[in-house]
Amino acid sequence: MSEKKIAYYPGCPSATTAMEQDMSTKAVFEKLGIELEELEDWNCCGALEAGDPKLVIALNARNLALAERKGEDIVTPCSICYYNLARTDKALREDEKLRAELKEIDRSLEYNGTVKAKHVLDVLVNDIGLDELSGKMMKKVNLKVAPYYGCYLGRPPETAFDDPDDPVLMDQLIELMEAENVPFSYMKTKCCGGPLMMTRADIAFEMARKILEGAKNAGADCIALACPLCGMMLDAKQPDIEAAFKIKIDMPVIYITQLLGLALGIEPKKLGFNKNIIDTKKILEKVM
Amino acid sequence: MIKTWELDPNFKYEIMNEPGGEHLTACYQCSTCTLGCPVTEIIPSYNPRKIIQMSLLGMRKEVLSNADLWICALCQTCTARCPQDVMICELMGAMRRIAEEEEKAGDIKIESPRPLFEKAFLHTLQKYGRLYDMGLALEYYPNREGSKIKGMKAMMKDYKDFGMRMFKKGKMGPLGGGGVFKGMRPEKIKEREVLKKIFEKVGEKEK
Ligand code: SF4
Ligand code: SF4
Repeated sequence: MSEKKIAYYPGCPSATTAMEQDMSTKAVFEKLGIELEELEDWNCCGALEAGDPKLVIALNARNLALAERKGEDIVTPCSICYYNLARTDKALREDEKLRAELKEIDRSLEYNGTVKAKHVLDVLVNDIGLDELSGKMMKKVNLKVAPYYGCYLGRPPETAFDDPDDPVLMDQLIELMEAENVPFSYMKTKCCGGPLMMTRADIAFEMARKILEGAKNAGADCIALACPLCGMMLDAKQPDIEAAFKIKIDMPVIYITQLLGLALGIEPKKLGFNKNIIDTKKILEKVM
Repeated sequence: MIKTWELDPNFKYEIMNEPGGEHLTACYQCSTCTLGCPVTEIIPSYNPRKIIQMSLLGMRKEVLSNADLWICALCQTCTARCPQDVMICELMGAMRRIAEEEEKAGDIKIESPRPLFEKAFLHTLQKYGRLYDMGLALEYYPNREGSKIKGMKAMMKDYKDFGMRMFKKGKMGPLGGGGVFKGMRPEKIKEREVLKKIFEKVGEKEK
């Protein structure tokens, strides 16, 4: 990777529920000598709640334009933010009229398609690359890991950067840190239920339960993931899911950047291992 | 039984005119979407293929008032797998927006709290520029439950343990650095004026 500076779009959960993802993303990039410059005054991407595609495009044009003015590609740790940024970038590259309309609304929405929107996982594996990373591995991460990708990394096709049915980018990182991928293909890309949490918690809980129990049955020490909404469902809501179904799961859920950080020799506290809701002590004991 | 005389042959064009609905008529009813749907796995009566078939037939009222429109998890599995590039996930969005217009006109009643949730979400976004969970919940729960008191009760039930968990880990409140009221007060962006303009121009339907 040639550029050493990328514009960082943390996304709303980075300040609260997904603090550990934010912390570990920053720590990993720092260790790799790449500067993440947080976009100043970024706004929420609209998640999946801004139903009108035009609204999504306007909201994300502002963030893309902020990065464009700095001349830097924009990277985010959230799958949904990534989807919204990437689909906006695509729509605006293809549609001059739309670009003009946005400029009409406000000058700050002028975006000319000169930067790229990326997900952290994509940057790590495809831009920085496994070769470069492999030279920096300091620690064997002695764990059995269930790599969970969820929805917006391998689909929809217009923005995907991994395989829709059998994504591999996290698997590759997990192998690189000499951890073991447990057989999890049939669950890897299933939806966690997050988007239904506030309106049909019953369905959402059942969706999440299947993934959590799937990981447990596969013999995993932990689930690895790359999206704060998945983290919210599988980690923060796990005790509620256990209570609702009267089951015990106790499955640590760790962001892939946290695991990679361990492999790079970064101390657990800096990676936010004390922030995950399901206790991570067992995990750390095995690795350290 | 379908009452053929009540069908609306223009319904499919109405959907296709809405962003996301463009590919509706490409559907050849193969059922790939339904077979891979994680919601169908849990609620077997949920059937995206059938919703599309009903739309193609012109069963306007049945489709728009169907609560199933609102339980799609927007997971994109069907969109990724559809051999005809129907973009089912986006199509659901298009139909949802038509249904909301229809409800505003007083012609149907939507049996799902999802529109209320989206409204509350967009209100906090418009006001602050960032998601503010607590503000969202304080608007959404009372609206969903139909009264302030019932709303507060429902909110407490969902958030009591969850909030404690967040507090203990310092993701909310004073324990994690970032101030005593971390997570309890909105984070505001500076250029909120721009957001106001955006919502005025393209967010009419969302207000
Ligand atoms: S997968 Fe596509 S073509 Fe097949 S039924 Fe579903 S929408 Fe129609
Ligand atoms: S996007 Fe909706 S309809 Fe399609 S597979 Fe996911 S939950 Fe089912």
